[in-house]
Amino acid sequence: MNAASQIHAARLSEISRLIDDRPGERIFEVDRRIFTDPAVFDAELRYIFEATWNFIGLESQVARPNDFVTTHIGRHPILVMRSAEGKVGAFLNTCRHRGTIVCPFKQGRQKFHVCRYHGWAYDSGGRNISVTEEASGQYPPSFSNSNHDLLPVARLGSYRGFLFASLSADVPPLEEFLGDTRAFLDLIIDQSDSGEVEFVPGASTYTFDGNWKLQFENGLDYYHFATTHSSYVDILKKRNASAGPDAGFTAEPEGEQEGQGSFSFDYGHAVNWSIKRTQLYGRPLGMDPARLDAVRQRVGSTRAKWMLRQRNLTIFPNLQVIDILSAQVRTWRPLAPDKTEMVSHCLAPVGESAAARTLRIRNYEDFFNASGLASSDDNVMYEFCQTGYDATTAAPTQGYLRGVAEVGHGESAHTRELGITPTEWSFGPASFGGETNFHPGYREWRRLLQHAAGETA
Amino acid sequence: MAADAIREADARAVAAAVIFREARLLDAGEWADWVAMYSEDAVYWVPAWLDEYTTTNDPDTQVSLLYHDARRGLEERIARIESRKSITALPLPRTVHQISNLEASETGAEQITCHSVFSVHVYDPRVAKEHLRHGRYEHTLRRDGETWKIARKVITLVNDRVPTVLDFYSI
Repeated sequence: MNAASQIHAARLSEISRLIDDRPGERIFEVDRRIFTDPAVFDAELRYIFEATWNFIGLESQVARPNDFVTTHIGRHPILVMRSAEGKVGAFLNTCRHRGTIVCPFKQGRQKFHVCRYHGWAYDSGGRNISVTEEASGQYPPSFSNSNHDLLPVARLGSYRGFLFASLSADVPPLEEFLGDTRAFLDLIIDQSDSGEVEFVPGASTYTFDGNWKLQFENGLDYYHFATTHSSYVDILKKRNASAGPDAGFTAEPEGEQEGQGSFSFDYGHAVNWSIKRTQLYGRPLGMDPARLDAVRQRVGSTRAKWMLRQRNLTIFPNLQVIDILSAQVRTWRPLAPDKTEMVSHCLAPVGESAAARTLRIRNYEDFFNASGLASSDDNVMYEFCQTGYDATTAAPTQGYLRGVAEVGHGESAHTRELGITPTEWSFGPASFGGETNFHPGYREWRRLLQHAAGETA
Repeated sequence: MAADAIREADARAVAAAVIFREARLLDAGEWADWVAMYSEDAVYWVPAWLDEYTTTNDPDTQVSLLYHDARRGLEERIARIESRKSITALPLPRTVHQISNLEASETGAEQITCHSVFSVHVYDPRVAKEHLRHGRYEHTLRRDGETWKIARKVITLVNDRVPTVLDFYSI
């Protein structure tokens, strides 16, 4: 190791220590610098986003041969295509010739992608099919003998139609990476009789002037709901007073203990959930009793019960899947320490009734995104936090300790029902809003940076 | 021909009066008067973009940026802001609506359809940041006794990568 790389490793190691995690002493602190420091931000892109599995889309977005969508992993533009032969591939969206973006479009269907700059062409399998005027190019053998195909991502995998890719080959197998989060993806996917989910057309993109980790935390934060979203809760309560049976309200089975809990998993993932007698919003699955019965027959009453409970799943580092009044898939792309781009999709089981689909869409628009009645408040809150983090000499924030005194390990009634083995779990009253479910993401954050620094955890 | 021209001029005059008044009420925060310009069953629709060229065309099977099929949806949004509980409105951004390229024609008995373009300058005094929203309006106006009500408004937002918050007052 030369001096420069030693300094680099030391710097990464120093960044990793901005998370102070001492479970034995019940200390968990996050230095404010991780939200503001450009050096931390650069390290996150290179050694977190560009070094682990990222969610890149649904297979159903490229359902037919030659379908494509574009996205990002960290800074890298990514082109996801289904080849003419039907195989899904994910490639760096950059021409092998001069680096130009090969496909500048959001989505579509094309057999070939021709670079606009000098005309090099690729097929939907990523193969180079033309180097313009190659014969007259006076190329040396080193060029002619090189491969000119689009560069594929290092790892690509699918879990029941959820596509993940990694720019680094140094990652665990996808099944291991996802672990028990698969049980929570299943709870959404299995709402479809055919086991398929799709994005409802009409994605939206928005930005907020804050660090990406504010979204990461918020998606696991039930503590903020009553305060931040009180204006939305007021609207819901008014509406619910006159809601009809088609609003999709469902009841918990008798004898279930109300409360709010979370599960933490390896590789940074966590899920929040709640059990409530009085729902604030109905479910698309709940508006058609016959269909709900059919699902219950198919998946069993225990899993059907969990399908109707609010669940907020975070798959680190870039995905949140929320199943409440509708289902949302949201991903974030860090643009700067204080700027984040969100892409949000309405997720739906294939085959639900037209009425359930429309309810899902209305509920989704109502709650989510910059134009929704709840997420818009979150976006402004992130900006208030980001501004507050400018108090750089202030002590670390005190936002990571709710639930620490009674964090659970091993089995619980809830883990047994779901057949999962989380690393930690929490459960408390409806007002609980634990914060221990932020820990796995930060532990993975630290592990990846330490790994990069060569001090493999 | 002459009669048609007069009718078109009348339609444009009606449309201009309604649309410019709407813009003024939005910028002034006079929302009770603003929402009263809408009929009870008014459709207020901001489609999303499917790709670079196409917007959504069916609110029942596609997601819109905003979709309300009754005035009540707008009234809820107003109540939320006036409750002073939503941080999106603490403080409320200041806006200036500029509307031009107005075309209007009678498209039915007691009905006028008009097309216009908008620029909304949004200034957030919280952080002294500003940005511009721009796009196209399509209003459908329906006569209601002596006045004209907005029966339908479709807002095509051209710059749809939305900074932080999108609400009725800023488009």
